[in-house]
Amino acid sequence: MTFGLVWPALLGLLLAGYFGLAGFDYGVQMLTPCLGRDDRERRALLNAFGPFFLGNEVWLVAAAGVLFGAFPFLEGRLLSGMYFPFAAILAGIVVGNAAVQLRSRHRGASARRLWDGLIFLGGLVPAVGWGLVTGRLLAGVPLDARNVFSIGPADLLHPFVLLCGATTTAVFLAHGAAFLAWRTGGEPGARAARAGCRALLVAAVAAAAVLVTGFLSSARHALVNPWSALATGAALVVVLLTGAALLRAGRTGRAFAATSCAAALPVVALGAGLHPFALVTSGTPGAGLRLAEAMAEAGTLRILTVFAAVMVPLMVLSQVWNWWMFRDRAGRTRTYL
Amino acid sequence: MTDETLARLQFATTAGFHWLFVMLTLGLAPLIAVMHTRHALRGTPLLERMTRFWGQIYVVNYVLGVVTGLVMEFQFGLAWSGLAEYAGNVFGAPLALETIVAFFAESTFLGMWIFGWGKLPKAVHVTLIWLVTLTAYASAYWIMVANGFLQHPVGHEVRGGVAYLTDFGALLTNPNAINALVHAATAALMTGGVFVAGVSSYHFLKRTAEREFFRASLRLGLFVATPAAFVALYYGFVQIPTLVDTQPMKAATLQGHIDDLGSLRVEDVQAHLVQRFGAGDYRPPAWIATAFDVMQDAGYLIFLLVVVALVLLHRDWYLRFRPAAYLMLVAVPLPFVAALGGWLLREVGRQPWAVYGELTAAAARSPVGSMTASLVLFCGVFLALAVADVALIVRYARRGPAGTDLGGASGDGQPERPASSLAL
Repeated sequence: MTFGLVWPALLGLLLAGYFGLAGFDYGVQMLTPCLGRDDRERRALLNAFGPFFLGNEVWLVAAAGVLFGAFPFLEGRLLSGMYFPFAAILAGIVVGNAAVQLRSRHRGASARRLWDGLIFLGGLVPAVGWGLVTGRLLAGVPLDARNVFSIGPADLLHPFVLLCGATTTAVFLAHGAAFLAWRTGGEPGARAARAGCRALLVAAVAAAAVLVTGFLSSARHALVNPWSALATGAALVVVLLTGAALLRAGRTGRAFAATSCAAALPVVALGAGLHPFALVTSGTPGAGLRLAEAMAEAGTLRILTVFAAVMVPLMVLSQVWNWWMFRDRAGRTRTYL
Repeated sequence: MTDETLARLQFATTAGFHWLFVMLTLGLAPLIAVMHTRHALRGTPLLERMTRFWGQIYVVNYVLGVVTGLVMEFQFGLAWSGLAEYAGNVFGAPLALETIVAFFAESTFLGMWIFGWGKLPKAVHVTLIWLVTLTAYASAYWIMVANGFLQHPVGHEVRGGVAYLTDFGALLTNPNAINALVHAATAALMTGGVFVAGVSSYHFLKRTAEREFFRASLRLGLFVATPAAFVALYYGFVQIPTLVDTQPMKAATLQGHIDDLGSLRVEDVQAHLVQRFGAGDYRPPAWIATAFDVMQDAGYLIFLLVVVALVLLHRDWYLRFRPAAYLMLVAVPLPFVAALGGWLLREVGRQPWAVYGELTAAAARSPVGSMTASLVLFCGVFLALAVADVALIVRYARRGPAGTDLGGASGDGQPERPASSLAL
């Protein structure tokens, strides 16, 4: 069935869109308290993603919807199996999302400082969390005979998994910095470019360390396609170094394009490394929950496909339109955040 | 407390917080769309200020609706993975469609509307708020389709312990979804109208300078709230016969009996359900009858208040008769109380079922251990954010239109920007 191709691709697209778009939100959130020297500067940094902020996070909601609708037999297993990291990521997103939108609704300096701390935390927790989840999925999970699993905090303390967490954090940080360097001018923009260069180099080192650890540790044995995963990881390192060179050369727009690719590559690594599986067992290689087993029945998918064929292009168009309408650099739009 | 109770409590807290904010979102969006449209057509500064003032409150309120909604979306998989295992083929579809057909667009367009002041062409800007409104109600529809399936599973067959979708049309037209949607949507409109009327009344009581502004707001609020309250009450009663047919135990718990003679009581329904589904206790907690009474009484009271207030609009009696304004101010929390009662009745009243008659909540629960930590985490986060958010809403409401941030002007009480900032 073509459904076996279309729906994993759509889930991948939505997840990659989420990583690529919300990734710079989380980066900006982590950078704002450090790069913005005073309240006016911090507001300028936050308003750089202003018109896109609500539209970025919603890619995650769409991915979760598609996960439930098209992959119901993966959804429950994945989310309940990784209960702890998902609960932490969600709490982080909730706090960060509210903090970004409510921060400047207060006029007092101390209230704004408190929200600034939560803005930082709300960027850090999902940035680390998604890396840990990606790493754990690549390294495999302890599936039982019914393909059900449950992991605790200790299962995330694996060197490979931790390095994945460090990588996504540095990548999102660099992504946010590249976005700010591209969209804001003046001294904060220049500071963002310098921070971005450093973060990109750190991210490249972390990604290289992930590759090395992945091949030295047990993580390799769980992977179905270790060479595709390795190629994706190598591509990530190259893209990060390219981004650093572009940012140093002052080509901020292209640097942002490079970091966008870098932010989305962890999703590609998951797909490339695990296909045709959705979940792999950490114990026995080549076993796990296949995507085909995880998917809804054909009748349901047919209906969903009709809606998706119409709606997904419209969804993407609505966001393209958003970026086009607000294509001017920040500062030309009203300050709200 | 058992692990199941904790999981249910976590869901109830998330859903409860979500709906309290979403209800006001749904109620305010159409009012703001109407104000913005009238402003675009006539170009009067008053209507622009109304759009921005109520829009500001709407946008602050929206924050909590979105963040709790995100957790809602994941809650099924996190805590109730059995639901996807059993009914994923059927129940997942409306949830997926809610996100790709409605919510994605709603959030994208709202972001554009917030930052579009003075930037987007007037016609585009007004279209955006209507798209936001439309997609918000579309969201509500798909969610009620999903919830309707849990209440009264239709359009599917069960093979080998898994549900398969057989009739998508039946799922979309489930009376348990449609009637409840009309009930909840009109209750939300009533909430928006009462809220606008209540805040306006506060400014009359305080004798603020914005008399004309809040007079116009009050009229719009009452013109929407009154018919909405009537339809909400009517569609509350419309659901009773469906309830007797599809969930006799809930109906019996509410009324004491389910037939006209009063001979079929809770015990009789229990005996009948044991016969049908096997041994078990099918009685929901008796307090759902109280939840129902609270909802119903609050509903009547709101209807009475808005009708009286509507009559008092004649010759602006309302503005001179201060008790009316006090009553309307007190009425603001009532729709929220009624809504909580309604959802407790609908959800707790369905127990012990997750999917009525097919899957118990106990069987739907994820094989995860105690949820105490995450329950405390989510409750704490939601409560703190809700308090902060409500405090901001109250602050904006009290400050009046001069203290609005939305639209970029007058952050510190300067005079409003002229309407020309919106020109093409």
